[in-house]
Amino acid sequence: MAIETWHQEKSLSRTLREAAPPLLFLTPAAIVLLVFMAVPVINAVLLSLQSWNGMTPAVWVGLSNYASLFRDRIFLFAFGNTAYFTIVTVIFQTIVPLLIAILLNAGIRGSTVFRTLYFMPVIISLTISGLLWAMIYEPNFGMLNSLLQGVGLGGLTQLWLADPHLVMPCIIVVSIWQSLGFYLVIYFAALQNIPRELYEAAAIDGANAWHKLIHVTVPMLRPVMVLVVVLNTVNGVKAFDQIWVMTAGGPNHASDTLGTYLYSIAFGAMGSSNPQLGYATAIAIVILILSFVLSVIQIRLGRRNEVEY
Amino acid sequence: MSIASQSLAVRHEAEISRTRFLLVFNRMLIYVVLVAIAVVEAFPLLWMLMTSVKNQREVFSSFLPTRLDFSNFQRVWIAMNLPMHLANSIYVTVLTVCIVVVVATSAGYAFARYRFPGRDLLFYIFIGAMMIPGQAILIPMFQFLKAIGLLNSLTGLSLSYLGGSTAFAIFLMRAFFLSLPTELGDAARIDGASEFGVFWHVYLPLAKAGIATVVIIQSLGTWNEFMFSNTFISNPNLKTIQPSLYQAIGRYATDYTALSSGLILALIPIVAVYLILQKQFIAGLTAGALKG
Repeated sequence: MAIETWHQEKSLSRTLREAAPPLLFLTPAAIVLLVFMAVPVINAVLLSLQSWNGMTPAVWVGLSNYASLFRDRIFLFAFGNTAYFTIVTVIFQTIVPLLIAILLNAGIRGSTVFRTLYFMPVIISLTISGLLWAMIYEPNFGMLNSLLQGVGLGGLTQLWLADPHLVMPCIIVVSIWQSLGFYLVIYFAALQNIPRELYEAAAIDGANAWHKLIHVTVPMLRPVMVLVVVLNTVNGVKAFDQIWVMTAGGPNHASDTLGTYLYSIAFGAMGSSNPQLGYATAIAIVILILSFVLSVIQIRLGRRNEVEY
Repeated sequence: MSIASQSLAVRHEAEISRTRFLLVFNRMLIYVVLVAIAVVEAFPLLWMLMTSVKNQREVFSSFLPTRLDFSNFQRVWIAMNLPMHLANSIYVTVLTVCIVVVVATSAGYAFARYRFPGRDLLFYIFIGAMMIPGQAILIPMFQFLKAIGLLNSLTGLSLSYLGGSTAFAIFLMRAFFLSLPTELGDAARIDGASEFGVFWHVYLPLAKAGIATVVIIQSLGTWNEFMFSNTFISNPNLKTIQPSLYQAIGRYATDYTALSSGLILALIPIVAVYLILQKQFIAGLTAGALKG
């Protein structure tokens, strides 16, 4: 009996001794993630169930913020814009960088120079690129219209960001311009991991360049492509910085996305006098759920039918 | 027979030269495409550079400046108060990077080098924070900083970045520690090293490259961040560089020489870091993608 307790004590202290180091190493991270991520997220969920202007006491309103979203024309429009922005950028920013990476990987000289050049816009902040492109698109003094006039295409000049029909495509162009280098570098690194033998085997079987792309490159890059799609989707759903800097959601909400609409409700383009913090947080929760659900679906779909080599 | 084989050889040669021509043609086509894209990618930046050294009167007349005019830099350096905003950004970046490195290195080490019940689940919960968009915590963080008196404070801004940054850093550091051999630690333990000693004297010195990656990615992310910095700091003297540039559009409107030179001055630190540490930079950004 005594021996047994002694054994138990020993094993207990041993477990403690073994569990202590990882516990200590993990404590700082656990505290940081708890205080600066978990608690704010829980608070956001609670706040989305309240009506609050930041000054007078908050009132519990249940799900009515969410119900109001469906009747809010601007929200629905911003939702559509977000979907539009996300779908177009996912398609272009997944395929274009892949094709260029394949060209760069074709054993050409100077591929490092090209990669360095293409990567330059990536390190620039979204704020700076937004400001730069706002200057370029500016209808009266901007580079784009002067360039068009300079080459005799003055008839093609547009209002660009001030045109409600053109503003979203203009913003999408900036996104593609800026992110190209990033996804390209990811693809390029992955391409170099594909064993040469696979291409040689395909060549022996009489495969042409198109067959090699479809039957070797794409299946081998599948996990990376899924990752690129997920990153693009999450970035699309929460798009904010560039759009806010270029148009603040204008003209007249034409370029409002979930991110910019939320921000203008909460903090106001020009210092709103009546911030609706609960309602804005409900939109934030919509963004959170969308990015979470979409990425889970994409990862699941990406894993299915995965080819093993 | 000999004639036949000769004509065959000629035909063969013709075919070879044809494929060679196609190869060269293909190669040239590839270069044309790559150069065209390089022009599109570089042109806006080049235009910004050119505008920044132009005289205010010739901004809209030609692409190339007739005479280099560096006075714009002097003008905005003082008028936009750039030294102050850059200093604010440096403070926030250094503080954030330091905390993230300490927290992520130790957590990444624990996930890579210890076995304990629930480890993998905990890891996924930790890195799940990567998936949470900044907007989700924007307003609660605003309230939190206000409540603890750190709204309008650079330290408060730095703290607000921690939740969104540590997850990816932990992910990278774990992957890095996993690539180091376990035998080193076991050998040190046999020699009587404590658990902390194994971490501090054996693995930490070997993790320099991994830490460098985290430092670079975190510096870039913090330096470039806009939404939190534009929201949590309203005191003009405490604004970091990105929101201060955003404010400049109101002030300079279509004074493109001033705006361009301001943007370029703000870019210099990050471009310098990129050009010096290009390899680690790209390695860091792709590491996460390929190891995941």
